[in-house]
This record gives sequence, C-alpha cells and structure tokens, in this order.
Amino acid sequence: MSDSRDPIVFTGSGIVCGAGGSVAEVWEKLSSGETAVRTFTQFDPAKWPVQVASEVLLSDRELVSDRKLHKTISRTDMFGIYAAEQALADSGLPAHRDALPEAEQATWNDRTGLVVGTGGGNYKSNYDYLPLMTEAEASSDGALHHFGKELGNQVTPMWLLKNLPNNVLCHVGIRGQYKGTNACITNQCSSGILAVAEAAYLIENGEAERMAAAGHDSPFEPEMVYYYHKLGLMSGEAPRPFDASRDGTVFGEGSAALVLEKESEATARGAKVIGEFLGFGCCNEATGIVDLADDGNGVSRAIEEALANAGITKDEVGLICAHGNGNQASDRTEAMGIQRVFGDQIPPVTAFKWCYGHLIAASGIADIVMTLEALRQGIAPGVATWKEVDPAIGAFPVSSANVAPKSKIALVICRGFGGMNVVVAVRARD
Amino acid sequence: MASSPKRRIAVTGLGLVTPVGNDVDTTWSALLAGKSGAAPITNFDASGFSTTFGAEVKGFDPETAIPNRKLLKYASKSHRFALAAASQALADAGIAPTEADSHRWGLAVGAGMLSVDYEDLKVVHRHAAADGNFNADGLMDPEFPGNPLAFCRWQANAGQALLTKQFGIRGYASSVHTACASGGQAIGTALKVMRRGQCDFMLAGGFDSMLNPLGISGFCLLGALSTDNDNPSGASRPFDLTRNGFVLGEGSGFLVLEDWDRAVARGAKIYAELAGDGNSLSAYRITDSPPDGNGPIQAIHQALGDAGITTGEVDYVNAHGTSTQMNDRSECAALKAVFADRISEVRVSSTKSSMGHLIAAAGAVEAAVCCLAIRDGIAPVNANYGTPDPDCDVNLVIGAPVKMKIRAALSNSLGFGGSNSSLVFRNPEEVQA
Repeated sequence: MSDSRDPIVFTGSGIVCGAGGSVAEVWEKLSSGETAVRTFTQFDPAKWPVQVASEVLLSDRELVSDRKLHKTISRTDMFGIYAAEQALADSGLPAHRDALPEAEQATWNDRTGLVVGTGGGNYKSNYDYLPLMTEAEASSDGALHHFGKELGNQVTPMWLLKNLPNNVLCHVGIRGQYKGTNACITNQCSSGILAVAEAAYLIENGEAERMAAAGHDSPFEPEMVYYYHKLGLMSGEAPRPFDASRDGTVFGEGSAALVLEKESEATARGAKVIGEFLGFGCCNEATGIVDLADDGNGVSRAIEEALANAGITKDEVGLICAHGNGNQASDRTEAMGIQRVFGDQIPPVTAFKWCYGHLIAASGIADIVMTLEALRQGIAPGVATWKEVDPAIGAFPVSSANVAPKSKIALVICRGFGGMNVVVAVRARD
Repeated sequence: MASSPKRRIAVTGLGLVTPVGNDVDTTWSALLAGKSGAAPITNFDASGFSTTFGAEVKGFDPETAIPNRKLLKYASKSHRFALAAASQALADAGIAPTEADSHRWGLAVGAGMLSVDYEDLKVVHRHAAADGNFNADGLMDPEFPGNPLAFCRWQANAGQALLTKQFGIRGYASSVHTACASGGQAIGTALKVMRRGQCDFMLAGGFDSMLNPLGISGFCLLGALSTDNDNPSGASRPFDLTRNGFVLGEGSGFLVLEDWDRAVARGAKIYAELAGDGNSLSAYRITDSPPDGNGPIQAIHQALGDAGITTGEVDYVNAHGTSTQMNDRSECAALKAVFADRISEVRVSSTKSSMGHLIAAAGAVEAAVCCLAIRDGIAPVNANYGTPDPDCDVNLVIGAPVKMKIRAALSNSLGFGGSNSSLVFRNPEEVQA
C-alpha cells in the first residue's frame, strides 16, 4: 500500500510492559530468553488458581510525572501516555516542531495526528461505586433511590473523565498540542495493531503529514483473570506458544507506540528511520465473541491480503511474529493459516507473549515494535518456553533458541475476540 | 497523497432504533414533527438521581427485531439496538453478504463505553465487597456465580462480534470509541476502508445505551445532563440561551455503503453520496470546548476538502448541538468561521432537540438523518427553541421543518476530550449532474 517511491516509515518507537520501560530493556529480556511473567502483586495471589502476570513495575510518577493528571486518568492511560510520548521523543518530532518559526507551528500541529488502540474499559473502574452500594443496599428508601441521591456526595465527579476510553488520545493531544486527524479504536486485541495500519493510511491519504500510533491496555485485574480462567484461556505460568503442552495465556499490561511519516519528510529533517510500513490485511471470521474458525481461514486470508497490499511475495518474508497466545485452539488454527499460505517454505516463526504476557489491546503494536528491533538486530528471539513439537501442528519453524531472520521483512499477526485477524508487513532499516 | 480519483461511495440502506421510533420512517416522521423522545425514566428507579428523565427507546421487542435469536443471550441492550438497526439497513438496501462476496464486506461501528449492569456489579458487591471494599478473594468464593455470558457482553468489541456473526461479514472489521464522536468516526472509517479498495460493501453505524443506573451516574457526577426534571420534553434545547445540559438518549443507527457505480448498475436507490470525512483534536481541555471553535473548524474543513466541495455547496448542517452552554457556543463559532459570509444561507438544526444525545450512536443516527433530509428535500426542525443566544446566531430551522433542496449536508460530532468528526453527504442529483 505504501508508495515505494516515498514509503511510510517509522521514525520513533516506545514501549512499556512487564519486561521494561524502553525498547532496549524489553529487547534485553526477549533476546536472552528471560520471561517477565512473575507472581503478581496487585492483589493477593494465595487463593487464586492463576498466580502470575507480567505487571508493569514503574511507579505512577515514573510513568507520568505530572501528578495532577493522576487524578483524572486511569492506570491504562498512564501506560499509553508514557509509550506515546516516548515514541514521539524518540522520533525527534517535538523538538523539530519547537524549532520551527512560530507562524508555522499551528499548521504543523494541525497536520500531526494520533490513532490510539485501547482496551476500552476495566471492571475495577466500577469499584468506585461499591462503598455507596453497601449503603444503598441497606437503605430503607429503595437501594437505587439512595444510590442516586448520595452519588454526588460519595463518588468523584471525575469518574467519567477518568474512564473515558479515548483519554490517551485526548491527553497526548493536549500535552503535545497535536490537533490533526485521529481515531480511537476499541476492538479488543486488534485495537493497537489496527492503530498502526490506520495511521499509515491517514498519511498515505494525505490527511496528516505525520502520525503517532499507540496501543495500551491493563487487562490484568481480578475479574478478567477470573473469567479468562473460567473460559479455559489462562495458564498458570509463562505461556508456551505452539508447544505441545501449551495450556493458555497470561495477562501482561502496558503500551507500545510508533511514529510514522513519509520517508521524504523524515529525510528532510534528518530523522533516523527504523523501518517501513509495507501494508496490512484485516479479515474477520464471523464466529462471534470468543469462538474461532476451526480452519484458520481468517489468518491465511489476512496474510494474503497483507502481502498483496504490501506488494511483496511470500518468499520475501524473513520472519513471522505470530500472535501465539499459548491457547490450544488459537495457536493450532494460527499455524494452519500460516501453513496454508507458506506451505513447507515457512520463514522462522516467533511469538513474544512468553516474555511480556498478553497485552490484549496493546499486544499487536508491542509485537511490531519488538519485531522491528529483532530485524534490526538480525536476531529472531526464540520462544524460550517452547519445548516440544505439537503433532496437531506438525512441522513448524518455531524454536526455543534465537535464530537469524531470512530477510529484513516480517509479518506481525494479531488475532482477537470477535473473530479478528490483522496482519501487518514491515521492513526494518539498519 | 493518493493520485487516483477517489472512489465514489453510495449510501443505499438505512436503519434506525431511536427514542422517537424503532425504525427509519417512524423516527423521521417524529423528527419532522419536532416530537420529543424524552420522558421520565422507566427502566429503573431514577427518582434519587439529579436527572430523573432521559430519551429511552420505547416498545422495542428484540425477539421480533433481531433475526438470529440465539445471539440474544450474548447481546446487551445496546447490541440489541445495533442488531435491529443493522438488519433494517441491509433489508432497506436489498443486499446482504453471500458466501461468494462475504470477504468483500466490512463493518465499522462506534461502540458505547463499557458499562457494567448495576445488577452484575451487585453480585460482585455481595461476594467480594460486602463492606464496600473490594477483596479479590471474594471471586474465589465457590458460591460466586460469575457469568461468562455477562463477560462476553462486556467485551469492547462484543457488538462488532455479534454483527459480523449475524450477517456473515468476513472482511475488515473494527470498533471505535471517541465518546460522542464515535458514530461519526465509524462512518468515516468505513469510507476510508472502501476508498482504499479493502471492501466493496460496508455496514457502518453506532450503538449505545447508557440509560441504566451506572451509565447515567457518570454524567450526573459530571453535571453534564439537563436537570429540567419537571419538563423532560422541553429540556433538550440546543442553541437556546436557557439551555442547561444534554438529555441522555439511547439507540442505534446503521448505513449500508456501497461502491457508487455498482449501486447504480444494480438500480439501487441511493440516498446520498458519503462524500467526505474529517477529524481533528481540539487539544484544548478535557471537559471544555474551545470557545473560538479551533478544533471543530479543522474537522469541517478537512471533510469539505475530502468531499471536494466548497462551503458554497452546503445547504444544511445537522449540528452536534448537545444543548450544553459551551459545546453549542463552540460549534457555532466554528460554523461561523468556516462559512463566513455564507453563514446566514446555511440552515442548521440539532435533532438532539427531539431524540436527545445518543452518545456513541449519535453521529451514526445523525448521518442517517442527513441522508433522509437530502432525499426528501427537507431540513428537520431544531425543536424547543425559544430564547435566542447572541453567541449562537446561526440560521436555525425553527418552529417547523423547511422544504428546501439540499445539495450537500454536513454532520458534526464533537466528543468529550476534543475528538471532532465531520461528515459530508451529497445529493445524488448533484453527483450525477
């Protein structure tokens, strides 16, 4: 999709997750086979069947230094603001803007856009209502009547603002004065990866000169762990993508972000280019909220669409970063989809959730950020928890050891609830 | 910049479930009559809340409105509105995904904020927070009746999932949320997906229902709702000097979008061309609207530019017009800045004066209203208007709808947090001329 004469390139990236607060920190863990899935601390794991997650260890102050803002945003927003601003700083765009003549800055801001992919909400946000509920349920004049009457006295007036799904979009915009085109995608797992694809298109379509794309989520909370476990989706230890004995996924939390612009613009301002956006595919399986097609047709269709959109052949792909969430059915059907396209010529396959857990809305974009780093380093990190070939999958080039990508081009696959399959093709630059 | 001419996109089907009607015809008649959908809340005991009324959907029977009843258990109220409105839109267009073309069909929806039912939260409260403080171990109580269906309904893209499954849509699918701009952004997303050739047909719309105890709580806490509890039907009065907040509504609107040439070739009825989409961030304050319209102005300009038309071709604006002091003033400032000398020639109305504010569904429902206004050559009324506000001196449609040729209509949606979405619809006669 990207015009080969003036490709859309990545000029900045940022990440925060359980494995660290920068690309370098996360790369260190990924490339050395060290998982950041640990016993969780945000609530007492003792009575829980699942006791691990990949929690962000940075404090609120480290994530967002402006303490006033802490009262009006939630934990997931802190991750998003952190990663988005890290990526923007990495691209050098804010400094470039500030050095422009003042008369040009307003136009520059109007032509700078943001697309954010977010989880959309957390159960725990509603716990602010629990103390009032205790009182209301004991009240003699009707529980709801009492609840409504006392609401303003007991719950923060900021409740709605704290929990707006588009908070990262708004606050990154306000803090940086970015006023261009924008979107906030709430499509569960595929939110963040779609943010990258839509941001690239907004530049291609001339709606913005430059875009930041971010994905953020904080799925790790008690009710989410409870329901994922009840649905048989949770493992009790670091996930083992594509391994015969895999038994589920584990939650992470965090955010990742990328800055995109045309190469001509990046070159003109002397920016470093870390990679190219080549194209993407997005296909639904029409299977409802949690079910998967049993033949992986959404995966293969999305790969084919991404290859065609990128204008590349499957032989040019040197690495696949799979969704690989560690669930039996999801990994099996994903492998089937990959096998259908690549036959017995599959490039090395890796997947990163064994390291930083499943970031849900941020998972796909985090995988793009780290895949670009892997391609730049010339190292495809192994799936450190992988041990044994799954006979139901058969021959599949996944390994526990690091290997070399076959080329600088990778596909990143992201699957999600709602029958979603999104594939993004990228090429790294040194 | 894309060098090839933009692919032309037709609107060929509409579906609506709104507080003033559970289908397109009923809603449109009510809007033309300036009928209010606001009344005291009946779905729950709202007597203690600072606002006790809203614009509820009335007499909606999901069993008859939704084709696949097996999906009902996975569907929250807003999902049910969506399934019904989307079914109407496809029936109206006379097309639906088939085995052969389902991968060329896409979906883009503006979904409401996730809100937990009071009754579901009560279950958590009983087992894990009886004293008001949440203790996660309560969920491990063997008696805790965690309901996976409620979990499914609560997923951010549950609406997207149910719609793609219901209709067998197998191409692009996405769900967006930018507060009150969600519906407009979803339709804009669909336009982009079709223009870049990723799909040949899109179902695009929005759905929301926050008229429940926890949904309305957030707005009451923020003080955003009108508190005219003794006069619900007159409470939503956009651009009137005495306006004092919006009226919370619920419902859904869907459009079927189709490649123009293909629609013409099959002899489809074409409501309008979905011609342009513009988005901007106000980057001003999280709750406040920029008084000078800086933000909405850029979105409108971008939408007009995307549509390839000038301000001289816009005859009607379906305003965001929420009936809050600041938002209406900011929007008028933007309209005056954009239309300049022509501002008195452009007719403006906010149909939120009748329907209330459908939040994530608003932009989609109002997009459908623009299509109907173009089709019938009639600008719907800005109901409940009495006292002029010198800051809102745009040419409002007051008292009765106005018969007029509408060459192009502009629909604005301005969300909390400063996301602005503008859409441009063109009259098919203008397109063919």
